[in-house]
Amino acid sequence: MTQDLPLIGRVTRCSLRGFVGALRLPEPDMPAFGALCSAEAQQGASQVIGLIYDIAIQDDEFARQIASAEGVSAEQIADHQANRQIPIEFSALAVGYRQGATFHYSLPAQPPLSLAPIYALPATDVVGFTRQLSFLPLILSAGGLPSDELLAAALQGAARARPEAERRAFLVEAGRACSRLLTDDLGRLDNLLQALRPQVSRP
Amino acid sequence: MLAGKLPQLEAALAGLETLDPQSLAARIAKAGDRWPGARPTAEPANSAFDPPPLPPSYHLLAADGSQIHPDRHAGALFYLINIGSLHLVAGSGAAPQTHTRPALFHEPADLYDEFGGLIPNELIDGRRDAAELGELARLAQATAGEPSLALLDNGLILWLVLQVRDQPKRAVDEILRRYLGHLRELRDLGAAVAGVIDRPRHANVASLAHLGELPLESVDDASLKASPYLGLTDRALFDRQLAHGQRSAVFIHGSPVNRDFDKAGHQVHFYYLKTAGDTVLRVEIPVWVANNPRLLGLTQAAILADSAATDGFPYALARAHELAVIGQAERTQLESMLADALLRHGLPARPSTKAAAKRWLTGRRRHRV
Repeated sequence: MTQDLPLIGRVTRCSLRGFVGALRLPEPDMPAFGALCSAEAQQGASQVIGLIYDIAIQDDEFARQIASAEGVSAEQIADHQANRQIPIEFSALAVGYRQGATFHYSLPAQPPLSLAPIYALPATDVVGFTRQLSFLPLILSAGGLPSDELLAAALQGAARARPEAERRAFLVEAGRACSRLLTDDLGRLDNLLQALRPQVSRP
Repeated sequence: MLAGKLPQLEAALAGLETLDPQSLAARIAKAGDRWPGARPTAEPANSAFDPPPLPPSYHLLAADGSQIHPDRHAGALFYLINIGSLHLVAGSGAAPQTHTRPALFHEPADLYDEFGGLIPNELIDGRRDAAELGELARLAQATAGEPSLALLDNGLILWLVLQVRDQPKRAVDEILRRYLGHLRELRDLGAAVAGVIDRPRHANVASLAHLGELPLESVDDASLKASPYLGLTDRALFDRQLAHGQRSAVFIHGSPVNRDFDKAGHQVHFYYLKTAGDTVLRVEIPVWVANNPRLLGLTQAAILADSAATDGFPYALARAHELAVIGQAERTQLESMLADALLRHGLPARPSTKAAAKRWLTGRRRHRV
């Protein structure tokens, strides 16, 4: 099943709370902030569902030299972007896992292993996973992350995976769920709802 | 102190132009084959040439190689040559094509010479040099009929031939034959070829300038060795002579090995070129590039343009080097793959006792007495 999915990278390091993957440019499917992905764990028996919260491109001495130089040609820039083995590293927060056809909204029992393939979650699975909003606490409680922006991006992505007619209802429901979780932090809730609003107001 | 002699050296270089060419030729002949000085061409020795305009589109091919020499103490006996190359179409805006071609040699015929001795490292380096040029000839197949420049990260002379006294002659001849064959292929395909030397330490033009100051009758080993310019390099000289983008006159390489190249129609010439960051490169070219104004101009203008962003050294060569280089991690991985393969065939691959002992000892704390 997984062979048909778009591969976006391979795990380079991981823990129960998340994993870091790397890929080489130019992969056709660049991961995006707030996108859901999955990485195989437990020898394929489960897939950890990750939410991408950071994307970083490493540099090196040569790239710095070219970046600061005059007279860089279009071919040299294309060479750097397409050929040089500078990995793009992306970090994902574990927000649940899947065993068989069932999604679970807690941390997985085991993390994926090094070099486990990471796939973008297809739209049907995004809808399936976000049918329940039990993963919201894992995002809101994650420390050291831009968790509000991440949550807004994840919910907007989940809305886009749905038919247009269902998007508004999904976002309103998600807004209500956030309100219940953030009753003691109204400032934060207000920011989050603001971030969801453009999607809500769209006809 | 030495730098103070540069104006005198410049004057000596200019003085070459006042000499009758016949008289200079007589001094060069008297200096003998072993004299390492540059030989002049029709271009005045102290001239400087601006770069010609570049064609709107041209091919830039670059190759570089690296190697793992055989290690008698390792688990498996082999050597590896890895060639990295890049084919960039300047003016296209497209990413260049890159290639990495490793070749592993482990058969007895590869590893031992005709007398049963382990192949010397110099021969492996010579095979690498020939493989670099072979890769350029391979890439040039696709560019025939279009302006193309093939670059090597080294001089064009095959230094292995100079060491021939210490090497099995048949193997050296075979490498030289292959090397000259690749030069012929490149010439027949219409590509320009240039070997680029960064931070050259040569003083061949300085030697020529000194020779020009000696009266014919006093040209001998002692006077040639007593040059007042000893320690000064051509690079220092042309740093003063050239403005950014300019090249020096073309000279003929004075190496005795150049006779073999001359016989095959590839006599090596060279010039100095000032690129970005006041870098002075030595560019070595075969005679058929030196005598073809279009190819000669392409070497100057394309090397200059390709070096703009990389502090004066060609970008394409820096990338070819990056593609060719074999890191310690890759070397270790290769050795363990080879040991695995040997084990699968029932051949235990163990490092020598000496290598193993070294490994044990490096981890050990020294006991103080």
